Order: sequence, then C-alpha cells, then structure tokens
Amino acid sequence: MKFYKKTSYTEDFRLFRDGAAAFWYALLGLALVAAPFVLPAYYLSQLVLIGIYVVAGAGLMLLSGYCGQISLGHAAFFAVGAFTVAVLEKHGVPFLAAFAAAGALSAVVGFVIGLPALRLSGLYLAIATLAASFIVTEVIVRWESVTNGASGLNVAKIRIAGWVADSEPKLYAIVLAVALAAMLAVRNIVRAPLGLAMMAIRDSETAAQSMGVPLMRVKLAAFAISALLTGLAGALYAHKLQFIDPDQFTILVSIEFLVMIFIGGIGSMHGIVLGAVFVIALPQLVAVAKDYLPAAVAQQSGLQAAVYAVVLLAFILAEPTGLYGIWRKIKHYFSMFPFYRKGSLRRAKSFAKSETW
Amino acid sequence: MAVLSVSDVGISFGGLRAVDGISFGVEPREIFAIIGPNGAGKTTLFNVISRIYEPSTGSIVFDGRDITRIPPHDVVRAGIARTFQNINLFDNATVLDNLMLGRYRHHRSGVLRQTLFTPFVRREKLADRRKVEEVIDFLELGKYRDVLVAGLPYGVRKIVELGRALAAEPRLILLDEPSSGLNVEETRDMVFWIQDMRDDLDMTVIMIEHDMSLVSAVSDRVLAMSSGRMLALGTPGEVQRDPGVAAAYLGG
Repeated sequence: MKFYKKTSYTEDFRLFRDGAAAFWYALLGLALVAAPFVLPAYYLSQLVLIGIYVVAGAGLMLLSGYCGQISLGHAAFFAVGAFTVAVLEKHGVPFLAAFAAAGALSAVVGFVIGLPALRLSGLYLAIATLAASFIVTEVIVRWESVTNGASGLNVAKIRIAGWVADSEPKLYAIVLAVALAAMLAVRNIVRAPLGLAMMAIRDSETAAQSMGVPLMRVKLAAFAISALLTGLAGALYAHKLQFIDPDQFTILVSIEFLVMIFIGGIGSMHGIVLGAVFVIALPQLVAVAKDYLPAAVAQQSGLQAAVYAVVLLAFILAEPTGLYGIWRKIKHYFSMFPFYRKGSLRRAKSFAKSETW
Repeated sequence: MAVLSVSDVGISFGGLRAVDGISFGVEPREIFAIIGPNGAGKTTLFNVISRIYEPSTGSIVFDGRDITRIPPHDVVRAGIARTFQNINLFDNATVLDNLMLGRYRHHRSGVLRQTLFTPFVRREKLADRRKVEEVIDFLELGKYRDVLVAGLPYGVRKIVELGRALAAEPRLILLDEPSSGLNVEETRDMVFWIQDMRDDLDMTVIMIEHDMSLVSAVSDRVLAMSSGRMLALGTPGEVQRDPGVAAAYLGG
C-alpha cells in the first residue's frame, strides 16, 4: 500500500503524480522511441495508426469525456483535416503549413458545429452533431472541383524542408511527436482552470454558471480544441493511407471514436491511449479469431461490428470506467495484497443523486 | 447605504406571479433571512438575484451597479456567490476540485496559456490552492480533501457547497436553506460559520431558512414572504409577532 504525503500545493496539479509515475512514463517514452528499431514493419504500421487515433481520441475525450458534450460528428473533423491537407499539398503548400491549416479549418468547423451545442445536450446534441457531419461529408463529395469528389485524392508523402518521410519509421516519428503534444495539451487543459470549468459543465451547468463559468465560451472552446486535434489526426491519417475518399469518413468512424473513449475509460487520460490500442487491435484479433470460428460465423460481414457492440455493452454493464478502471483495479489488487476486498474501489451510490435530476 | 437593493422585483411563470413587487435593501455585513411557507417564492427570488431567471419587473442594484441584466456568469464576478437548496455540486470531482472551481472568477489566463500551462497559470493555480486551503481550514474539510463528492454524506456535501461559494471570496453570499438536512451538531456549526463569515470574512449574508431557532440566533433582519408577496420585514422578534406571518404559516 502506498501513501501519498503531499508537501507542496503544486503536487495537486503537476504533470505526473510523483517521481515513480514520472519514471515509468519516461520508460514508456524510451520504449516508444526504440519501437521502430525493434518492431517488425507491420506492427510499427499499427503503432502509427494507434498514434493517429490517440490524437483524435484526445480531442474527443476533451469534449465528451471532460466537457460532457457527446459528439457523433467527429468523422467530419477527421475528414476536414484529411482533405484540407491533401488539397493544399496538391497545390504545392508545404506540409507544415497545410498541417496547421488543417487543424485551423477543423477548429473553425468545430466552432460552427458547436453553436447548436449551446442549446442542446445529451441525445439531441448527438443527433445535431451527426446531422452536421453528414452536411460536411456531403460538401466534400459535391465540391468536386476542389476535393475531387467521390473519386478521392492521392496524398503525397510528408515533406518538411527537403526531408521526406518516405518510410514507416519516419512517419512514425512525426505521429509520435504529434500524439505526445496532443496528450500534453489535453493534460494541461485538464489541470488548468479551463479543464475544471469543462468538468463543472459536465456535472452541473447551473452550478458552473453560478460560479462564474461562461457556458457558451467554454463549450465553444471545447468544441474548437476538440475539432482541431481531430483535424490534425485526419491530416496524419491522410498521409498514412496516401489515398483518401469521402467513404472513409462515415458515421462508423464517429462511432469508432466514441467507442474508443468509452472503452478506454471516459474522463481519463489513460483512457485515450488504452481506447486507441483497443480499436486498432480489435480488428486484428477478430481476424485471428476467424480462423478458429465455424465458417458460418466467420463469413459474416458484420462480425467486427458485432464484436464491437458486444464489447461495448459488456463494458457499459460491467465496467463503466473502461479499460482504465480495470487497470486501476489490477494495480490496487497488487498494492493491497493480500488485503484486497472486492468492493474497495466501488463507487458509493449517492442517494441524493435523484435530487439533482 | 445598502449593498444590495432589490426594488419592486416581480416574475411570472405563465399566469402565476411567483414573485410580486418585492423590495428590500440589505446593509453591508448584515445577516438577512428570508422565511415563508413552501411555494412562497423565496428560491425564485434567489434565482432572480443570481440571474438564473429574468425578472419581469423591477431592478436589482448591487454595490452601486445595476445587475438586473448582466449575464448569469458575471454575477459571481460582481461579488455575489450562492448555494443551492438541492446541493448542486460537481459529483465526479474531488472536494478539492469543487472548491478550486469556486476560484474560477479570479482567473485571468486565456486558452493558449492554459494549454501550455505557463508559469503564469501555475502561479494563479498556486494562489488559488492557498486560498482554497484557507476555506478548508475554516470549514474543517481537511479529511475530505481528496474524496470524490458523489460518495460523501449529505451534511458534508452541504458544507462543501458552502465552501465552494466561500472560495469565490464574494462580498455577498446567498444561502438557500443552509441547515436543511443537517443534524443538530452540524446546524450549530453552521450558526458559527455564518457569524464568522460576517465577523471575520466581512461578508453580507442573505439566507433562506426554515429553522426559526437558527434564524433568531443569527439574523439581524427577517423578510417574511407568502405567495410571492412580502408579508413583513423587521427584526426576528417583530416578524415572529406579526399576525400576518402567523396566519400564513398556520393557514388562518
């Protein structure tokens, strides 16, 4: 059992909880840097995808996990980022400028889609963001002169001042840097007053407002930052696939993002990464499992979606805090060994809950 | 010179006059109680002062400034903090984070600085943390500091909510039934805290309260309401002797 004896107020809001945590994160960082040298190309490629999903997940986690605004439209920001970078690069804009523009344009779209959020919440907001994302994809399909419509666009390799990311390890380096920056940004916001204000909005808008949180401004900031990060992820995704068309950015992608943060653990930084690992690894696991399943099941086209659904349901019923919650329990088990009791991490149900509606 | 003056405030919901022609002034460092039977419009009046509701008539002047039309989130910036009848806390956050949010009005840093968590943000956060610790000391919440609010007993949640309002360092604090749901001992603590808020923290207190012993113990003046209207205004003794007040409570 570990006891935390705090000796300074800064310990309540520093980047890592303590020296030990910082040490393990440093080790993880080293492993990530070493990955391209030891991992086979296929796994590295999966790691790149995970990195891209971490960036998008960081965006959605901020909006849905921390600010409590459910979005079913994040595929739209992903698409805006991807097409912006592709179109700009086609016209000779250098990568870094196109990348920044992709983030900026997504943020603007996020801001605009966020406007209805000021009056909507819950299911209605999810439907509104879904509708908005349909509009965005429709614009991309119809605006053929720019986006090449349904036939899609080829995307060149990333080129930064003469240096070309022409191999997977180079792309990996860029994705890793962006993913770390995205995680750091979200972590900073969460420990800053703005993040606190977002969590306050999630739990009680009335109380947040009465404590001086401008609901409109904070929600719009959450939407814009969230869209910006997801747009950057889209721009990286375009470079990873090297070919994009509007069919890659359907509602299924939005759902995949939501599943990612829910299964990872809503409202936690760890959840972003764990969720990304999950959504990238699951199709591989399903593919492997196919060999062992009876043909009648294995041949079904919806197998992967069905597995998603089952896993998601299982998590909502049994472990609403997601993979991160499981991880915490495992850690707790070992730190308390042999005194672990089953209920020790269970949240007390508060009887006063019904009073707040 | 009154720190808060409410003049002829009224609000209707559909055909119902929930609050009708209420006028009163509260002096600096006064403890002012509002009493009345259920449905008298007391909480509605609070909601009008804290700008959750739009008044149909009248005006509210705080500290020489008309706050009748300012946005709701600016009320606490003006210097008025409040608690809620049904406890309105951030359930998925710790006691500490709930209190830290009380400091929100004192922040100056923008989105970019916060995203980078610059030394300026760090300093602001540190100053808040110190202030919050003073509140924790004042309300003796030390042992709950890192506990999630959702799991706390009702009485403690009530005090956390009071702490969140105090952390904002308001000049005027609105308490909506501070003693409801508290046991005898907690209620006695509440009496001391309300007095200390005035004596040590220089605050003006307006509270809605049903517990007449608490009202007589701490309040300087009492406003009695019924069906949205004013029944009586005066010292606790005067109001208790008022025949109209007795009638309203006993249904005479």
